[in-house]
Amino acid sequence: QTLSLAVKNRPLSDVFQQIKDQTDFVVVYNERFVNPDTRVSISVEHAPLTKLLETLLRPLSLGYHITEHTIVITALPEEQKSTRLAEQEAASQRTVTGRVTDEMGNPLDGVTVAVKDVGLATTTDVQGNYRISVSGDGAVLVFTIIGFESHEQTLGTKNVVNVVLKASISDLDEVVVVGYGTQKKINLTGSVSTMSSEDIENRPITNATQALQGMTGLYVNQAGGQPGKDGAVLRIRGQGTFNNNNPLVLVDGVEFPLADVNPNDIESITVLKDAASASIYGNRAANGVILVTTKSGVAGDTRINYNNYIGLQAPTYLPKTVKDPVRFMELRNQAGFNAGRAQAFYSEEVIEEYRKGTDPYIYPHNDWIDIMFNDALIQEHNLRISGGSDKLGFSVSAGYLDQKGVLMGTDGGRFAVRSGLNYQYKNWLKLETDLSFNQRTSHEPATTAGTMMEMVFKAQGFHPTYLEDGRYADTWIRSPGHNVYRHPLVWANEGFFNTKRLNGMLNFSAEVTLPFGITYLAKVGFSKLSTFEERFVPDIYMYQVKTLAEQRVDYYTPNKNRHVYNNHAEGLNTTLYNTLNYEATFADSHHIKALLGSSFEQFEDRFFNSLIEGFLGNTLTEINAGSVNPQVNGTSNKNALIGTFGRLNYDYSDKYLFEVNFRYDGSSRFAEGNQWGFFPSVSLGWRLDQENFLKTQRWISALKIRGSYGVLGNQGIPNFSYVNLVEAGREYLFGGAVSPGVAVESFRDPNITWETTTMANLGVDASFFESRLDLTLDLYNKRTDDILRPVTLPSQVGNLGGPIRNIGSVKNVGLDVNLVHRNTIGKLNYAVNLGLNYNVNKVTDLNGEIIYSGDKFITREGYPIDSYYVLESAGLFQTTEEIESSPFQNITTKPGYIRYLDQNQDNVINSNDRIVTGSVLPDYTYSFGLDLNYGQFSLGAFFQGVKGVNTYPEAIIATPFWFATSVTERWANESWTPERPDAPLPILTSFEDSQNDNFLKSDFWVLDASYLRLKNIQLGYTLPQRFSDKIGLNRCLFFVNGQNLLTFSDMKDFDPERNVKQANYYEYPSIKMYTVGINVTF
Amino acid sequence: CGDALLIDPSDQYSANTFWTEPEHFEAGLTGSYNSLYSLYNVFSGETDMITPNAKAYNEANGTDGIAKGSALATTGLFSNLWNNAYEGIGRCNTVLDQLENSPLSAEETGLIEGQALFLRSLLYHYLIDHFGAVPLVLETPDPALHGDLPRSDKEEIISQLLVDLDRAVVLLPDRYTGDDVGKATSGAALALKSRILLFEKRWDEAAAVAKEVIDLNVYELFDDYRGIWYLENENNEEVIFDIQYQVPFFTHGFDHTSKLLNRPAPLKDLVDAYLMVDGKSTKTSDLFDADHPYENRDPRLHQSIAIAGYPYNGRLTTPDDVVTTGFGNKKQTVYKDDVAIANVVANNSELNIILIRYAEVLLNYAEALNEAEGPVDEVYWAINEIRKRPSVAMPVLEARMGQDQMRETIRLERRIELALEGRYYSDIRRWKTAEIVNNGPIFNAADEVIEQRTFNAGRDYLWAVPPNQIDLNPNLEQNPNW
Repeated sequence: QTLSLAVKNRPLSDVFQQIKDQTDFVVVYNERFVNPDTRVSISVEHAPLTKLLETLLRPLSLGYHITEHTIVITALPEEQKSTRLAEQEAASQRTVTGRVTDEMGNPLDGVTVAVKDVGLATTTDVQGNYRISVSGDGAVLVFTIIGFESHEQTLGTKNVVNVVLKASISDLDEVVVVGYGTQKKINLTGSVSTMSSEDIENRPITNATQALQGMTGLYVNQAGGQPGKDGAVLRIRGQGTFNNNNPLVLVDGVEFPLADVNPNDIESITVLKDAASASIYGNRAANGVILVTTKSGVAGDTRINYNNYIGLQAPTYLPKTVKDPVRFMELRNQAGFNAGRAQAFYSEEVIEEYRKGTDPYIYPHNDWIDIMFNDALIQEHNLRISGGSDKLGFSVSAGYLDQKGVLMGTDGGRFAVRSGLNYQYKNWLKLETDLSFNQRTSHEPATTAGTMMEMVFKAQGFHPTYLEDGRYADTWIRSPGHNVYRHPLVWANEGFFNTKRLNGMLNFSAEVTLPFGITYLAKVGFSKLSTFEERFVPDIYMYQVKTLAEQRVDYYTPNKNRHVYNNHAEGLNTTLYNTLNYEATFADSHHIKALLGSSFEQFEDRFFNSLIEGFLGNTLTEINAGSVNPQVNGTSNKNALIGTFGRLNYDYSDKYLFEVNFRYDGSSRFAEGNQWGFFPSVSLGWRLDQENFLKTQRWISALKIRGSYGVLGNQGIPNFSYVNLVEAGREYLFGGAVSPGVAVESFRDPNITWETTTMANLGVDASFFESRLDLTLDLYNKRTDDILRPVTLPSQVGNLGGPIRNIGSVKNVGLDVNLVHRNTIGKLNYAVNLGLNYNVNKVTDLNGEIIYSGDKFITREGYPIDSYYVLESAGLFQTTEEIESSPFQNITTKPGYIRYLDQNQDNVINSNDRIVTGSVLPDYTYSFGLDLNYGQFSLGAFFQGVKGVNTYPEAIIATPFWFATSVTERWANESWTPERPDAPLPILTSFEDSQNDNFLKSDFWVLDASYLRLKNIQLGYTLPQRFSDKIGLNRCLFFVNGQNLLTFSDMKDFDPERNVKQANYYEYPSIKMYTVGINVTF
Repeated sequence: CGDALLIDPSDQYSANTFWTEPEHFEAGLTGSYNSLYSLYNVFSGETDMITPNAKAYNEANGTDGIAKGSALATTGLFSNLWNNAYEGIGRCNTVLDQLENSPLSAEETGLIEGQALFLRSLLYHYLIDHFGAVPLVLETPDPALHGDLPRSDKEEIISQLLVDLDRAVVLLPDRYTGDDVGKATSGAALALKSRILLFEKRWDEAAAVAKEVIDLNVYELFDDYRGIWYLENENNEEVIFDIQYQVPFFTHGFDHTSKLLNRPAPLKDLVDAYLMVDGKSTKTSDLFDADHPYENRDPRLHQSIAIAGYPYNGRLTTPDDVVTTGFGNKKQTVYKDDVAIANVVANNSELNIILIRYAEVLLNYAEALNEAEGPVDEVYWAINEIRKRPSVAMPVLEARMGQDQMRETIRLERRIELALEGRYYSDIRRWKTAEIVNNGPIFNAADEVIEQRTFNAGRDYLWAVPPNQIDLNPNLEQNPNW
């Protein structure tokens, strides 16, 4: 009897079924020996049954015997098995080799490579290489290692099998960086968010602060995209204080400005949000702590990674203003008449002359926004070489960023190098050192970019560019209110303000392994921040287009003659800390970790600047080329912190988790006796998934409830706020000579001490359906007491600056949610995530006081910090009768003007009618993202949104004809006229004419700055391994990236992602970017 | 190791250990003078733009709103004066209190005390002139003691100022030389006293004190009216008290705002007020030629106001130079008519701002005496002194006038002589004429109406106390109808 069979990678049971179908023989077996699911491949034509069974079963180390119509499958006896194996090896043995890497192309060391169903296995070496003997084409190799999904590969005829392992979806074993150590994520009892380098890979992040966008519980607001000055503002869990709200940022354990880190050097970021995780940083922890860990060398093959991108930037929003000079002049005249002026700003003759004028030099029609804003190039290159042996690891990197500005006269760049070394001596000493050097430069006009923005918005269509002979041209049109033309092209191209920040950090640490599970770590870090600024204001002349009259171009700020100014500021931070760690397990289930440490930090700052006039021309720009009116200034400053801290972790069977932290912290910012504070915290966790009653619930992959409570501090106030000082430098001139003068300018409170934040946190970490759905939920209640805030004194007390005092309480109650869903469908892997922070800010106690700040903010009990305190508007007046029958507003009130509500019913509208409304603190911040992988393609998108936040823009663009300057198309077309009674804007007037009417601070101008924005979208294509292997690459990724491509917002003329408290539109525009790049690993 | 946390400031003095060396007291007094710089807006003539003398070119500081009667209590100029005057007062008080421990000689201590008393009185004078009675603080600023003080009685403040100025007169010399030029003199204290008395309508005393200044024989009118404000003539014999400026450290922007921004822009009303060279008004003089309205006028017109077609800074002024009203301001600028110099860069002016000059004392004297005794000879003498200034050379007053006619003559003379120097706004308020002269249309050189002015007699004679001050100290009472 012969059979024909052809199966490929089918279960053994299938083959048995086919045998049965063709022969009527029943196949019986004992599942103890035979796994019917074993996949086999076999192909025979007209083979005898016995031959087929031999071929099929031998590789599986099985035997058989046939009785009646039954085939009984048996296990081979041991001796036979070995002979079979020997035979098999002799017969069809071949060697398969290959390399195992992770998705990033990193070699994986220690991966178990087994031949399925055969007792053969090996592991990969440090380079990820393996070598194994197999026989037969049907063999299946199984690759397993903790932290990655196991992978099966049918061999076929290949002798080289390279495998890429995917990181395990389950993060059970993920380790996160916490204060002075690490912790298994699954055993965390505090509230932390983490991010790794992959999350930001290939994004054009020009400032490391932007990298944190999207982390749960973190509000990242990036206002403006000025090259070299585009840091984002970070807030964790609302605003708790009136002074410094910035989180503490530690880079490799040392306080360091995040903006000065090369984003490409970041390995991971941990954000410590609750008291339990942050209190180990004591009196600096109240605003949360951000721990940045940089990339370091790992043992293994030397890897070279190079990545770059190049692209174009364009402003996201630019205001639409009236460009046509004639229309502008007519509109301004009309605005003046509307407000009751009798006289036109621009005479009919001038307008008529312009209308008929044909000489483009005398009658230009310039679009200054178009002239001054242009698409700009950006490129970044990063190179990293890392590797090492089992004793020594190294990582060396260099990065270069070159960013032109979208605003003429601005650009910036960064050059960063970093090297890290780690060395293991014997088994008891580990040394690590990091050295980094980062230079950031920015170039902007002498007046700075902000003033440049103002002037671009001020220039009108009739303001000329050049004369026919190329000289700068001055206008012949005089605009009352703006009589001096400050030529934007001169500002942008002549003179400069350059900033160079040179920041270096040197870290050294030694870790000694002692007996009894104790390790000792000592770390010393120095970071030196040096900023050099140089400004040159030249003498540049422009010539009136008609008369050629010469006029020096005024630089406005600084209002000075031609001069050079240099400022050199530097800071030296010294950090020393050492810790003792102890870790032990008792009776298998009692696990203890303890930490005890102390630290000393010192911050020294100084600056020195000089200015000189008297240059002979515009070519030399050094101080020593000047000759007259030299001026100098400078000072230095120092503060220090000393702390002792500790932590105890205890868990029982990984099930019941317990942690206490403390720090005893002293700060030089307070007077002796008020310097020291104690900051404890406690947290508990319960891993329900480890309980027997849930272990069987297979749909729950992980479930943990945790709670924490603790105390944090804030000492973020200026140095020496506790002592009354006599300030020098209040000079006066007698007899033509400067006479030194001093003055007391502020009143200080000697009794101040740190403010205290008490925070309770309740959290759940859950994971369902084999980690396809992860949920993290945190509820927090954060109360800040003894808030350090400046108290404003009535001016009659010598107009003294008020003291900083410990006053009042603010509460932030909120919710952080993070939801992730991942799945694999065939070749498609995807993950979607959603993050949300909801925060309610409320001042709970101010000792009955009310704080007014600026001309429209109020802080009072029961409301959020810095709420708007303005008049309430109720539409526009339509008729004079309406005005007369309403409470008195102003003698100048006219139809088309805003009507305000008389809150106190005294029939007069004044500052007593203000109400509290709107807030500069968002209610919600949220983000969602999508990651898709399909074969060689990947797609990532990230959205960010803010809801419930207000802004109040003023001055140019926001108000029409502000100091005789621009008016927007919206004002031209959508303002009130008798024919347009339902217009959204009041009648067109200039700011000057109606600042005491329409431009009173009112809710009419409180804008909703909520937005939803596609921050980033990235499409990538990874070259298939067989191609990259051919050209000697481990991995090769091409990508295109878009930044800020889509924005949904009610804001019309300017980007909603702004500093909402900024009262004007002079912030450098936010930018959108289109970039392409490559990321290769050798 | 806690010692590492004991850090002392290295760039400021601790208030507890300061005030030991003689230099400390000098420096404390200098710091008091220093606060005069922050009152530049009030001192430099900004307030003339709230009068029929001039108009603001733009809305900075809120002067235009005040002039139109639409100003809010929050107007910047109000808080500027309130805050900065109290800053200087606080600094003076600190020095005065510390003088008790002065290691200086009695004479040196007295010099410091006299100047501090003068400065404090000067600042209180500006406060009460604009706000009426204000809280009177005479000690080192202390929030616990002074934070909730209500307004004091105005009589109490006035008598305090008079006492302080009397003491200053005794303590201070009548002139300085060398490195001390610019400090307050006994003459300055007397001149300020005469102004305060005049404002209080204490005519006899005002006249008597003005006479004391005259009799000092320290001051005389500077021959060249325009030249009073030339750089080379700073600290001339007419100057009684001024604020000293010098580039690069102490600068202001008046040259730039006057010439390039046309701010302040004189109004037709002021120009029309200048008499003809025959001493008659443009309406009554035969010399007036409507086609050449700026000819044969009181020479002070062209020495004070830039007019299209007439020289300024070495060339003829064009309408483009004076675009706001057709007139420009020359006073307190460094530009001469016959010499062209480059435009002074913004905020780079160093011409001293004169607060009190001898001509004002003569005018105080004339006005007070006329009110007290009628148009006696001394009144004529004082006015004629001013008119006889060589560069002015207007006809002397000869006709016998009644008291009322003399009052009008003095007021006009005062307006013209002190135009655009920041005096007129105080004058029209104390004369109670503001509700007439600053209530109606204003005109430009072409006699076109520019805008309407409104003066609310029930409100605008005093400025509003900045509302945030009332927020901070609810015991402060707001002025009527603000």
